[in-house]
Amino acid sequence: MLEQGKIDSKQAILLLISLVLPTAILTAPAITVKQAAQDAWLSIIVATMAGLLIAALVTGLSLRFPGKTLLEYAEEILGRLPGKMVGLLYIWWFLHGNALILDEYASFLCSALMPDTPVIVFFVFVTVVAALAVYSGLEVLSRFNQLFLPLVLGLLLVVFLLAAKDMEVTRLLPVFDKDAAAILKGAVIPASWFGEIVIFALLIPFLDRAEEAPRVAVTAILICGLYLLICILVVVMIFGPHVSARWIFPTFNTIRVVSIANFLERLESIAIAVWMFGGFAKIGIFYYAAALSSAQWLGLKDYRPLVAPVGVVLVALAALCRNIVELLNFLATAWPPYALGLFEAGIPLLLLVVARARGKGGRGA
Amino acid sequence: MKKRIAALLLITFVIILAGGCWSRVELTELAIVLGAGVDLAEDGRILLTLQIARPGAFTAGSEGGGRGKEAASWVISAEGRTVPEAERFLAMKIPRHIYWGHCIILVLGEELARREGTGIVTNFYQREREPRENIYVLVARGRARDFLETYSSLERTSAQAAGFLERMKTGYTVQLRELAEMLVSRGIQPAVTAVEVTEAGTMPGQVPGGPPPPQKEVGVAGTAVFKQDKLIGWLDPWETRGFLWLKGEIMKGVIIVPGPEQPEKLVSIRIRRGKTKIIPEYNGEYPRFLVKIQVEGDMVEQQTRENLATPEKIKLLEEEMASEIKARAEAALDKVQGEYGVDIFGFGEAFHRKYKKEWRKLKYHWDEEFSRAEVEIAVDAQIREIGLLTRRAGIPEE
Repeated sequence: MLEQGKIDSKQAILLLISLVLPTAILTAPAITVKQAAQDAWLSIIVATMAGLLIAALVTGLSLRFPGKTLLEYAEEILGRLPGKMVGLLYIWWFLHGNALILDEYASFLCSALMPDTPVIVFFVFVTVVAALAVYSGLEVLSRFNQLFLPLVLGLLLVVFLLAAKDMEVTRLLPVFDKDAAAILKGAVIPASWFGEIVIFALLIPFLDRAEEAPRVAVTAILICGLYLLICILVVVMIFGPHVSARWIFPTFNTIRVVSIANFLERLESIAIAVWMFGGFAKIGIFYYAAALSSAQWLGLKDYRPLVAPVGVVLVALAALCRNIVELLNFLATAWPPYALGLFEAGIPLLLLVVARARGKGGRGA
Repeated sequence: MKKRIAALLLITFVIILAGGCWSRVELTELAIVLGAGVDLAEDGRILLTLQIARPGAFTAGSEGGGRGKEAASWVISAEGRTVPEAERFLAMKIPRHIYWGHCIILVLGEELARREGTGIVTNFYQREREPRENIYVLVARGRARDFLETYSSLERTSAQAAGFLERMKTGYTVQLRELAEMLVSRGIQPAVTAVEVTEAGTMPGQVPGGPPPPQKEVGVAGTAVFKQDKLIGWLDPWETRGFLWLKGEIMKGVIIVPGPEQPEKLVSIRIRRGKTKIIPEYNGEYPRFLVKIQVEGDMVEQQTRENLATPEKIKLLEEEMASEIKARAEAALDKVQGEYGVDIFGFGEAFHRKYKKEWRKLKYHWDEEFSRAEVEIAVDAQIREIGLLTRRAGIPEE
């Protein structure tokens, strides 16, 4: 066993929320509103349902192979060589996905907060801290997350409530102004974020009670969906569909608008705290996934020797991104088929079908 | 021992780093912009004027008891082809970092708004991270620079005074984010607060021996009407009231109606609250709108001698009040619809909410559709309170 620690179901739920929500919460409104205008909240509902399907797929698949992670049972299902290929692809995806998260993390801090600081500083600092957390193991990471995530979720709700003064429900009307195609289009990118829950397939063996995995994944997806739904409603009710779609980080702008009695205002430090914490947790989980799966792929007894090299690769990959326009363009066009189509739905579905056909795995075998 | 030394070194390291000395800017190194004005210079370039706070005067003023000792603001301008270029030229004259985070108002000069439009100005304020989404946007009658060069008798600076005027909602107020929304939506054309320099009151005793000079202060002067991003005309304060009724904006104000028995004497009714509902209808050829205004008010003064504290008289007053509000709203509508031909009321958005399919065709030429739309205004007025008095005092008993 590579990982000695165990996490309970509650920690797992919180960990999965941190896996999906942080980057989504800041950029989701702009991306979905661009496609679906004021019907973006419908897109989020569709995306949440897609997320639930992926969660069911991933947990169902994992439960057929108790005690094994995605990489291990991929080999069992597909055979050694194809299994290794799939494993390598996933390792690449964890690294690349994490590099993109790092890019997003750094460009927000750069454009909203510290324009004089070179992005590489953000890359290195957050990676070093995350490396420490990953090195300490899954238990430490999830305990940290358990401590801070409730605070973050609470603060977000408070801020949204404070923004109520500037909201107008009429900005959400008319409903169904866009056709179903636009709403579905708006759902694709959020669905690819929800789909990141596929990483759960690496963590299920370390659950206290693995049989609760489906419940854990579903709860996490529902909470994330609820938060994104609230977030989109708030942003659209404040800025209207046209302006919301034009911001890069609309949730940040929303928090800046809060001004109560000329006194309770300039709350953007909350947004930044949420982003700093959430970004760190998300990067940590992806980092952990990359380190753990590399160790499994190489057949090592311990993933810790790989933490430092993985971190170096991560920073190097993140530094490849030249500017935010390139990043946004990639996330909007290439990311959905790449992440959602291949890693989040495609390969797990293939694995399930082959496992069934070959009669592999515990249940239904 | 070794561990302790290592821990000590680590702590020192963390303390030094956690202090955050990287690009640290102290308050005394900031030039805090309170108001920004943009005019068109003679050669077609942009003239950017900043009103900058002088924090020293802020504390000295409160203890010294009275202004005039030290000015609280500094107004400075520079030209450039774009706003950031002008800002950089200003940086050559301002010995501190120009800080936009506390900018309250953005004033557009009349020339600029008419000839160039808002497009060359507002983008900077949305894109930059320091200026906020809730800056109030104003259009000056005349030059923005003259507007910023005023001072305020009550507030420390005229930019703050203008900000408070906006917050009081005496006129139609627009924040930068709302202007952006109006600019990009096809269902509404932008309207922005119009402001001017006025001679407002005097400060007795300011000049020993002589008569007090009139104060140059900022004042709200109605509404500026835009077609897309260009200024095309104005509404005076009276028409602005009508405009606000049609928009359904929360407003304070007083309605003056003639007394039921003595029409030459007036009765004042203070508005408490109001609600406006726009009901669009479409017959396939042209849109119709029914505007329902509900208003509640309190009687605050009567010039007439009659006893108004009877249900019948109140009923009559309510009718007068309704027709007065209707007249105001119609005046604003006639001017905007007939003369300017733009929909600053958001009728298009109301139409969009009800007829989303038809809107897809109409939205591209909405202003023409709006110009020939029929608008009916129905006002329902109610008087709630009559103050602390029933019959008017000061009349000899019969």
